[in-house]
Amino acid sequence: MRMSTSAIVARNVVWEGTSTTEPYEGGWAREAIAFVRALKEPVGNPGRAYVEVSPDGLNWVREGTSFALPANADEVTFARINHFGTWLRIVGEQPAGSSIVVLVTLHLKS
Amino acid sequence: MFAAAHVNYAQTLSRFDPLPRIIAMDDFDRGFCGWTQLVGNYEDSLDAMLPGYAQHSSPMLSTLPHWDAGSHGGVDGDYALKIATRPRIGAQNVAIKRLTFRKAGPIRMEAYLTFKPEASALKLSETDVRSIGFLFDLQVGDQMAGSGHRVMPHMRFLNAADGKHIQKWQFKRQSVPIVPIGTENKTISHYHLSPDGWEDLAGGDQKLCYNEIPTKVNWHYIRFDFDLASMQCTGFRCNDREFDVSGFDSIRLPAMKNLWCMLNLAFFAEADADKRALLYLDSVCLSGDF
Repeated sequence: MRMSTSAIVARNVVWEGTSTTEPYEGGWAREAIAFVRALKEPVGNPGRAYVEVSPDGLNWVREGTSFALPANADEVTFARINHFGTWLRIVGEQPAGSSIVVLVTLHLKS
Repeated sequence: MFAAAHVNYAQTLSRFDPLPRIIAMDDFDRGFCGWTQLVGNYEDSLDAMLPGYAQHSSPMLSTLPHWDAGSHGGVDGDYALKIATRPRIGAQNVAIKRLTFRKAGPIRMEAYLTFKPEASALKLSETDVRSIGFLFDLQVGDQMAGSGHRVMPHMRFLNAADGKHIQKWQFKRQSVPIVPIGTENKTISHYHLSPDGWEDLAGGDQKLCYNEIPTKVNWHYIRFDFDLASMQCTGFRCNDREFDVSGFDSIRLPAMKNLWCMLNLAFFAEADADKRALLYLDSVCLSGDF
């Protein structure tokens, strides 16, 4: 049986400007999906989320995948991620004056 | 998926001294084994969650990968359960396994664990982890309603405080204020891992092998015995040291209406610098005498 897990990497957190989730180590997994849900009505214009990878959990680089952040309360956006090595995190970038309260989850599968 | 999942079960068990009944033999080479984050209570809105709980995050399966030396691995396989705090002084994180018990008798918890701060500086950083530890959250069966309690034995290794290398075992019996959550009178919360109220275990000073740079770790053995009938701790060992637990006591609360026969086991880490504190569990064996 393949292994999978759901990890909550940001819960009820306000994202403004540039925000990042805590590093998540998932080298056992072959694939991942990142979901972002807006827990409240976002303020201003929705920004974008970016997938970042790292050799060590300390130094980060953009993986190339990005997706829109939700524009409405309870809207969910996501990105599929493959071949990410060991470390993952999601970075949110919001325009000036915009903010969003997020639930960010990673779903990893071997 | 994990090659080490094929490691002989008896070989893994031979590293432990369990009581006759194995309740759980959690070798994290097999996966998460039922360990999850300790999420705070809430009703209607997550805003009701106490800040101590809001900071908690999901545990990981880690190879202890380091920037300078690569993956460290576990005692006998690739993976360990990793509990990481946020990079902030005083930050805590907790992973928990939730069970109920079949018999109110002796139980034994054994584990192989280690801890380090995140290796973000080229220094030994031996005082950057404030504490690591474990707790049980227990409650009598419903037949004991009216006379029994919710009992929470806590033990921590106070590694450092305010930059000083302390290295001693402590317990906690002082309860913390209970906060009602929501309006339906069904949920309460209390942050029992608050930094105050810890007391020294008699003779509990112990210098653990820490090694010489932040990316070298050594695994430690701990064993904690508890009697669910008397709700008393009956023994504690770390590596070669057996401690006197005659002065140990637990947080005791009135029994709660939804928690009968609860047998929860949790491990926690706490940072003493603006740097992530990392607690790794290689394996946990929970056994009972029934």
